[in-house]
Amino acid sequence: MIRLVPDHSARIQRSEKVPFTFDGVALMGCADENLAAALMQAGVLHLRNAPGDGAPRGAFCMMGLCQECVVFVDGQSVESCRLTVSPGLAVKSRR
Amino acid sequence: MSENHDIAIIGGGIMGCAAALRLASGGMAPIVLDRGDLGQGASGVNAGTLSLQIKRVRLMPYALKGHEEWARMGDAVGFRRTGGYTLAFTEREAELLTERQTLKAEAGAPIEFVTNNQVLSAEPNLTRRVLAASYCHEDGYANSSLTGQYYRGRLREASVPYRERCAVTSITRDTQGFVLHTGGPPIKARRILLAAGAWLKPVAAMLGVDLPVNARINTVSVTERMPPLFATVIGHATGLLTMKQKGNGTILIGGGWQGRGTPQEGRGEVIADSLIPNLSLAQFALPKLGQARVLRSWTGFEANVPDFYPLAGELPGVPDAFVLGCVRGGYTIGPYIGRLMGDFILGHSPEMPLFNPGRDFEKDAT
Ligand SMILES: Cc1cc2nc3c(=O)[nH]c(=O)nc-3n(C[C@H](O)[C@H](O)[C@H](O)COP(=O)(O)OP(=O)(O)OC[C@H]3O[C@@H](n4cnc5c(N)ncnc54)[C@H](O)[C@@H]3O)c2cc1C
Ligand code: FES
Repeated sequence: MIRLVPDHSARIQRSEKVPFTFDGVALMGCADENLAAALMQAGVLHLRNAPGDGAPRGAFCMMGLCQECVVFVDGQSVESCRLTVSPGLAVKSRR
Repeated sequence: MSENHDIAIIGGGIMGCAAALRLASGGMAPIVLDRGDLGQGASGVNAGTLSLQIKRVRLMPYALKGHEEWARMGDAVGFRRTGGYTLAFTEREAELLTERQTLKAEAGAPIEFVTNNQVLSAEPNLTRRVLAASYCHEDGYANSSLTGQYYRGRLREASVPYRERCAVTSITRDTQGFVLHTGGPPIKARRILLAAGAWLKPVAAMLGVDLPVNARINTVSVTERMPPLFATVIGHATGLLTMKQKGNGTILIGGGWQGRGTPQEGRGEVIADSLIPNLSLAQFALPKLGQARVLRSWTGFEANVPDFYPLAGELPGVPDAFVLGCVRGGYTIGPYIGRLMGDFILGHSPEMPLFNPGRDFEKDAT
């Protein structure tokens, strides 16, 4: 890969890890980081099934447009790419 | 340096583009100018409903011809002939439905009245509270967001030049015709066609003509993708609802509910007071809509004159200047009336009568 700027990734300070759940399964994620990204890091890619043919779907655009990352939080459908991780957050899938 | 054209068309919506294509095929050299992108106005943000059940009686022959044009354009504009139901839920709406759709059927639209059971067996997800309904197998929709892309391709094929991000700011005359000032080099043309949609009034004012053009600001919403819930275009007896589910599962909801803003100010805004009743009516018709989230709502400007009939003909008092716009259901009728306008400017007599922009607008306001 060609880098146009120096790689500073090692210097990024991550926030503390907090517990949250996905369909009742306990996971850990960095507080206030993007929920869709935290789910990916925890190995959860399959977030919902397509409304048409039921095929598996996961986060795609990461900017609130494609709706493929939609999950239930507090009984509401929300885009996980537009939520952040908080301690005890209970996420339900639309699988 | 300046250029010379047989005709300059101000406004690259469906009206301007359709007229340009006809003029070019008749041997004239037109140029299309748009302030933004082709199809960025009403023609690119409308609900895309192609329904004879919501057309005015006098415009029905034009709408029927329009439907033929859409069928020809086909997939490139997302055209689907799905059939459509118009629903009435109360006695008063049922009366309105019977009265209006009878007149439209008499005007030549293949509209029939159907029973509640027929509606529900065709569309089982609709509410059980349909009191009366009509059906038209000709009805369907196209995808308005493809308008610009489609006409850009057609104009290129026909070697018609078009200029985007080219706002006409003033118009003067020289011995040969008109000089259009745009910020860039002036554009010269022997004739001009004003096709600036909801912006017709300021453009006509550049020639000293006062056109009584007003603008409505219509709201459209789209939901997330849903499983297949219905297959036809659904309307309401009052005209306050249009609804269709696209192939990708999203549901498009319109009905002419008013947002806030004016064409001069730009894009306009959606207001909750009209969005909520619009969505409530949609959800009443299709209860499962309650499970869908609305992803986006937006508005667009639709022009009209006091009698709500088109402006299509010579601009009063200015030789070699023409105007085309203010067509109710203009997306449906646009491709056809644009063709008629082209014929008229070419000096042929159009297949159907045009609508004199110099008429008395207070008379005949039916
Ligand atoms: C939200 C909404 C929903 C609708 N739903 C339907 C429907 O379901 N079915 C249906 O049949 N009809 C519908 N309509 C009506 C239909 O969209 C319009 O009648 C039709 O698109 C008008 O086309 P037009 O070319 O006259 O105007 P427009 O598409 O608005 O084109 C006018 C163009 O002129 C350009 N322009 C303006 N001023 C200048 C200038 N000074 N210099 C250069 N260019 C300029 C603008 O940028 C614009 O692109 C709807 C309208 C709206 C707004
Ligand atoms: S990933 Fe596309 S909306 Fe979240």
